[in-house]
Amino acid sequence: MTRILALFLAVSLTVAPASAVWPLPQSFQTGSSALRLSPRFDIQLSVNHASQDLRDAVSRTKFHLKNDKLGRLVVGRGSSDEQAVASAPTLALLTLSLTGPGSESIATEAQKLLGERDEAYALSIPSDGSTATITANSTLGLYRGLTTFEQLWYHYNGHTYTIQAPIEVEDFPAYPYRGLMLDTARNYFPVDDIKRTLDAMSMVKINTFHWHVVDSQSFPLQIPGFENISAAGAYASSSVYSAANVRDIVSYAGARGIDVIMEIDTPGHTSVISKAYPEHIACPESTPWATYANEPPAGQLRFVQPETAEFAANLLGAAAALTSSAYFNTGGDELNTACYEQDEPTTAILNQTGLTLYDALDNFTATTHKRLIDSGKTPIVWEEMVLNYNVTSLSNETLVLVWISSNNVAAVAQKGYKLIHAASDYFYLDCGAGAWVGDFPQGNSWCDPFKSWQKSYTFDPVSGLTETEKTLVQGGQHLLWTEQSGPENLDSIVWPRAASSAELFWSGPGGNVSAALPRLHNVAYRMRTRGVKAISLQPEWCAIRPGVCDLTA
Amino acid sequence: MVKASLFLAAAFVVTPALALWPQPRNLQTGSSALKLASSFHITTTIHNAPKDLHDAISRTSSFLKTDKLGRLVVGRGSSDAAVVSRARALPSLTLSLSKGAKINSIAAEAHKALDSRDEAYMLHVPADGSGATMTANTTLGLFRGLTTFSQMWYAYGGDTYTIDAPWIIQDSPAYPYRGLMLDTARNFFPVTDIKRMLDVMSWVKMSVFHWHVVDSQSFPLEVPGFTNISTLGAYSPSSIYSASDVADIMNYAGARGIDVIMEIDTPGHTAIIHEAFPEHVACPEAAPWATFANEPPAGQLRFALPDTAKFTADLLAAAAKMSPSKYFSTGGDELNTPCYDQDVPTQQQLQATGQTLFEALSNFTATTHGALAAQGKTPVVWEEMALDYNVTTLSNETLVMVWISSENVAAVAQKGFKVVHAASDYFYLDCGAGEWIGADPNANSWCDPFKSWQKSYTFNPTANLTEAEAALIQGGEHLLWTEQSGPENVDPIVWPRAASSAELFWSGPGGNGSMALPRLHDVAYRMRARGVNAIQLQPEWCALRPGKCDLTS
Repeated sequence: MTRILALFLAVSLTVAPASAVWPLPQSFQTGSSALRLSPRFDIQLSVNHASQDLRDAVSRTKFHLKNDKLGRLVVGRGSSDEQAVASAPTLALLTLSLTGPGSESIATEAQKLLGERDEAYALSIPSDGSTATITANSTLGLYRGLTTFEQLWYHYNGHTYTIQAPIEVEDFPAYPYRGLMLDTARNYFPVDDIKRTLDAMSMVKINTFHWHVVDSQSFPLQIPGFENISAAGAYASSSVYSAANVRDIVSYAGARGIDVIMEIDTPGHTSVISKAYPEHIACPESTPWATYANEPPAGQLRFVQPETAEFAANLLGAAAALTSSAYFNTGGDELNTACYEQDEPTTAILNQTGLTLYDALDNFTATTHKRLIDSGKTPIVWEEMVLNYNVTSLSNETLVLVWISSNNVAAVAQKGYKLIHAASDYFYLDCGAGAWVGDFPQGNSWCDPFKSWQKSYTFDPVSGLTETEKTLVQGGQHLLWTEQSGPENLDSIVWPRAASSAELFWSGPGGNVSAALPRLHNVAYRMRTRGVKAISLQPEWCAIRPGVCDLTA
Repeated sequence: MVKASLFLAAAFVVTPALALWPQPRNLQTGSSALKLASSFHITTTIHNAPKDLHDAISRTSSFLKTDKLGRLVVGRGSSDAAVVSRARALPSLTLSLSKGAKINSIAAEAHKALDSRDEAYMLHVPADGSGATMTANTTLGLFRGLTTFSQMWYAYGGDTYTIDAPWIIQDSPAYPYRGLMLDTARNFFPVTDIKRMLDVMSWVKMSVFHWHVVDSQSFPLEVPGFTNISTLGAYSPSSIYSASDVADIMNYAGARGIDVIMEIDTPGHTAIIHEAFPEHVACPEAAPWATFANEPPAGQLRFALPDTAKFTADLLAAAAKMSPSKYFSTGGDELNTPCYDQDVPTQQQLQATGQTLFEALSNFTATTHGALAAQGKTPVVWEEMALDYNVTTLSNETLVMVWISSENVAAVAQKGFKVVHAASDYFYLDCGAGEWIGADPNANSWCDPFKSWQKSYTFNPTANLTEAEAALIQGGEHLLWTEQSGPENVDPIVWPRAASSAELFWSGPGGNGSMALPRLHDVAYRMRARGVNAIQLQPEWCALRPGKCDLTS
């Protein structure tokens, strides 16, 4: 009698509760019964020789279930659930099992080629307290399922509960590449900040950390054989990622289902290399900087010189050996021609060989990319390499990041390249924070306005593409360039905003912003319970009243 | 021999960026190195010096030891090491009040009427190793001088030093009101966040914390006699400023030379009061909200009703009693008339008395302001009360805050009111962060673009004013409305940007943004050294190379 009444109450009290799962699963069926975690709740691995990173993931999930203590985002924060929850059945066990053979580590699965990753999983939670299950073909899929499981539970007065049992999830990503880029060169970020970012990324199933590790301003990466670049080019001896730091980051990311794709941007964005290898850099710190670079300081690799191409290939090869990813990014954006026109070594060779600058760039790219391909890495480049510089030596497998404008996506696809959405008009997290260049009081950020989560959420990844071209889209990412960022505002400028593309590229486009907002509030609140400084998207009054602060509400 | 080293110091130092902020109004520096003696101490000649002065001395001594800020040049001070190692040592700093000065606490001086405050001080730091001296007419002046003193020193290799000795400073503010507004109603900020903000404000000599404590979304203030409003209207029982919290904040601010001006915005922005006193609020949470308010939820005091006017006067008087300030803000912005057009009690009252809505508002204001005047408080209002609502009952002493546009300043001054600059086009810290209203994906913030520090720094406080009107300007403030802010991003969204107006209104207008930037970097770096998440204004490469990242460098 009690039980029937309680369940009935649960049903009648809960009017269309906002589910908190982010990204939204491909298939998500919920009921309206209350179910709480047993005090003895446990997660069991029904996997032979389970990898250490899977065991660790299970431990973290159990920890989060105990410690998140997130109140439901409604007026009263769950007080209206209390009666139904008090007499609800309890869930004592979640079992994880693999449907296929073999149990590779999460990291190994996450570092496979994009087309070979399997992140799918099925999650079943009966409402009667009998065992819940997650099944998947891979440990990576099990890990994604655990992430979903963690998001199902609220806390009130000692109970950890859901009011939506039973829950049946069948889930897999729409796109294999869901990323976040961080620039650690304009300003430096300690390893702890990067790890916290990786944790937050994994909460929303982002699977790629695009690490723009060095740039013209500083070179915080210690590369075996090239230690003098970071010794001379880091902001401080304490602002260097050692080879051990990189391994630590790659391993931390891998255990969280994240592939770390390192970028060493070439041949532009390399001024600081002049501190250690002046012979390889044209126009180092030339002024006025605006003539020779898009931002200070000027300075680019003398890619026309065969010895500089060889140097760059060695450098990239040594850096690539630091990561476990199948990919490596060689950059290729914002080449400044004025710099080379006044560089005597460059013009002398061009005159002597009869090559154009872009012919020479083609040769340079062939050299550097060959080194990467020979070591099993697929190159990634920024869009100019394909659209502006007429580089013909790119392999067909090259991934192209479109950043200047989403309008350029179709042109890249028409050339037959696989592409990643990274367009400044949707995904640049730094836009809208004012000019950072000095003596420019009336200046705004070049990519004004601010890109809100709502804006990126409405992005259409296949706009203007043919059916064939659509298949080239690998996914996309948010990006943080850090001219005006550091550890101080990393969390607040990225989260929860970057979760927007995480859902777009997992769940697929066409999501409704009004329906998404209550779930995104949940993401932000849960991140805060885990020590990530995700911002408030609205006054709390709105956060606990879904829809009431919509434009026409 | 020692002289030679001083000469060397002079030769090495090419116009170092002085780190003082705000810039003293009369500053003479030399080019000698001077370091703090290991036995350096701060003493005072004042008998029975107030406790808050002793505490300020302790804090200054602590900062001198713990800031450990390296000079913002390449090498972070390594080039100073040689001269500093041979430099004279400063044994002490002695604080004195001028003859006949009355000895009050810093807080008592900071709580005086704006035109009665004396923040002037003189500071002399000789280069020859004799003791430094500071004199002022008030403990508040001495506190400002201590703040300056703590900004003069860099650390390298165990030494705390300056390379600009001797220092001779005569300083006093251009304007008495240098403020920061924080909205604690859209989202709640724990007391520790407010205290941290007060600390930072004091480091740039801000004198007023404008506390927009309550609004339509929540009422986190426990007002004696009206505790049911916060009980029902705070976001949670833990999101309330108790009377003792308020007293704590007032003390903390006063000891740091900051007057806390509390605002209870009336008659608009009061929806939440209906939870406790439904009889006093018109159109509570009426929908569509956009018809009845500038943002959700709608709801305004039924000011036309005499009972409501009495209720409001009692509420404001009880709140004002919590504050030692001479000032109290009654708000008065964004009154919505459709709300009252459909409110039956209001319409009945207007018809019965034959008054217009704005005539009733004049009467309401006379009642509420009368209650404040009875306590010796001067009212502060938003500009609409002077410009739009034809309120005839404002006292000439009323401070008027201009927020809608800086173009409205002259109109307020022409009416003879004292003015505080708070214009959204220069000083709103929340602008440019995208739309926070739901279901509005393509919208930007209403006050786009972002107001950079450079923008606010160029503000002219007396543009288009006659001499007589210019005399009405009390100063100005930066403002943080918190629809998209909380403890997570309060530091990075405010600092160091708000320091821009702190200098503008202390040092006076006309400062050069290019010259200011290196000093503002110092402000941000020193804030970070003290645990505040002030953001990076530029890549560190630029911060260490003053001027190199200016637009035309």
